[in-house]
Amino acid sequence: MRAKPSFEPGALIAEGAEGERTAFAHGAAAAHGTPARIPAGWHRFRFPQSLYRYAALLATLAFIAFAIDRLNIDLERLPGVLGRIAVTLGQRYFPPNIEHVTHFDYLHSVLETMEMSYLATVLGIALAIPLAWLASFNQTPSPRIGYTLARLFIMACRSVHEMIWTILLVAVLGFGMLPGTLALMLFCIGFAGKLFTEAIEAIRPGPVEAIRATGGNRAQVFVFAVLPQVRVAWTGISIYTWDVVFRAATVVGFFGAGGMGWYLRESVQRIASHDVAAILLSIIIVVVAAELFSAWLRRHVAAAIA
Amino acid sequence: MKGRAVDIRAAAIAAGRRRGRALRLLAYLAIFGAVLWSVQVIMIADTDWARLAASSAGKTLKSFLEFDYRLLPELVDPTIDTALMATLATLAGLLLALPVAWLGAANISPLGRSSYVVGRFLMTVSRSVHEIVWGLIFVSAVGLGALAGVLAMGVRSVGFISKIIAEAIEDVQPGPIEAIRAVGGTRLQVLFYGILPQIVPVVLGTMIFEWDINIRRSTIMGLVGAGGLGLVFFRQMAMLNYGGVATVILAVLCLIILGEIVSYYARKAVI
Repeated sequence: MRAKPSFEPGALIAEGAEGERTAFAHGAAAAHGTPARIPAGWHRFRFPQSLYRYAALLATLAFIAFAIDRLNIDLERLPGVLGRIAVTLGQRYFPPNIEHVTHFDYLHSVLETMEMSYLATVLGIALAIPLAWLASFNQTPSPRIGYTLARLFIMACRSVHEMIWTILLVAVLGFGMLPGTLALMLFCIGFAGKLFTEAIEAIRPGPVEAIRATGGNRAQVFVFAVLPQVRVAWTGISIYTWDVVFRAATVVGFFGAGGMGWYLRESVQRIASHDVAAILLSIIIVVVAAELFSAWLRRHVAAAIA
Repeated sequence: MKGRAVDIRAAAIAAGRRRGRALRLLAYLAIFGAVLWSVQVIMIADTDWARLAASSAGKTLKSFLEFDYRLLPELVDPTIDTALMATLATLAGLLLALPVAWLGAANISPLGRSSYVVGRFLMTVSRSVHEIVWGLIFVSAVGLGALAGVLAMGVRSVGFISKIIAEAIEDVQPGPIEAIRAVGGTRLQVLFYGILPQIVPVVLGTMIFEWDINIRRSTIMGLVGAGGLGLVFFRQMAMLNYGGVATVILAVLCLIILGEIVSYYARKAVI
């Protein structure tokens, strides 16, 4: 159905060219004394578009209903969820047992978490750089095999969740910080490798051509044409990667790798809710602190090396 | 006289360079020293290499490569469940993210500075808590099942989605807003007709991106009791059927490649 033409400027803007013309004609008629009709309200979308919109909305709703039905989601549990969380947090988790997280062993595990995330980031970035070089379509030295393999490897690292890596590596290597570090390293390769590749693919080709024209080989092109262009971006990405890896490092211990997550698991299994609350609180605090620190570092380092 | 001034300036520049070089050297030393220290702690102090060498790590590794293809037919349903969970979680995340973005956008925050801080705080909390932890919290609140996983991933998605939307809202063009105000639109009408149409492309793009990530997350929600591929993974792991574990990971990879293809074309269609 067509919306009734009206004199409101809002309607004029919304109705597009054709509506405008009709409205204008009516306006002219109104000037000649014909009473203007009261607008019946306008809609942003008219017949063909509005039909598509409603169809899309209907399809989305149908999909949601299908998914809820298939997953056996019990919607009756949903309404009180906020209240239940409040009750759970208030009764079982409050007050957090702060003494549990100021204990020396726990503080030491925070340090361990930092060491794990740091080493994992350094190793991961050291491996991500050659992989990114191989996986960038404009700089790769072997466009067929190396490119495909590097792409696949980065994608596999990124696709498998860091917790799955942790569980697998704990199964192979046993409990300890080493499997956690390796899992985080794989995660880091996937994360930084993709961003590094995108940074290489976005460089200007001029310097590359210049180095090539003077007879530089691939390594020289990389060092003198690619690296100077991606240096700043890579530094920022590296610091951000550490931030993300640290966030994951706080929980890898949950599956047997070292760090704070180990204490989290232990408290969860003891059903010591006040300890769990304190640990969760400490995780939030250190992660937010790491985020602020990484933002600060990125800003200053970018200013220093740009 | 003039030569002297130039000399002094040159000396100052040289000193500045020397200081910069010293600082850089110090930074490199600090980075390298921290690496050595971490290696010492993690690889030498914490790892018992003798035990590792004596253990069956190599054999375990090899048994991962013997894929258990009998598991494949049983993986179809959990794979679909995982994808559905990720989709529902993304929609739930959007639903929760819109009000948070409304609070956290500096230009339209309803109570000014105070509600802006609340919005930003909600974003940070949502992002800084890992999905495993959210999963634990929601399982204790709504019980085991897909609902807990969907809520956990949804809440975890809020941080990213609402941050991007809030930034998009802060960047909207003032023209349409002024136009709606000029014809006497209420605050709500400004929100719906002035701001919402401008941020729809950003919202859709972010949703597609987050959906991709949520597929990844939903593969582990089974670990905290939310069904899907994670549950199969956990069961195979508990049975020590490493070939089955490898098959599950293969299914995860297939699902994620599929998701990446879908999101690539969806993003193309949106932009």
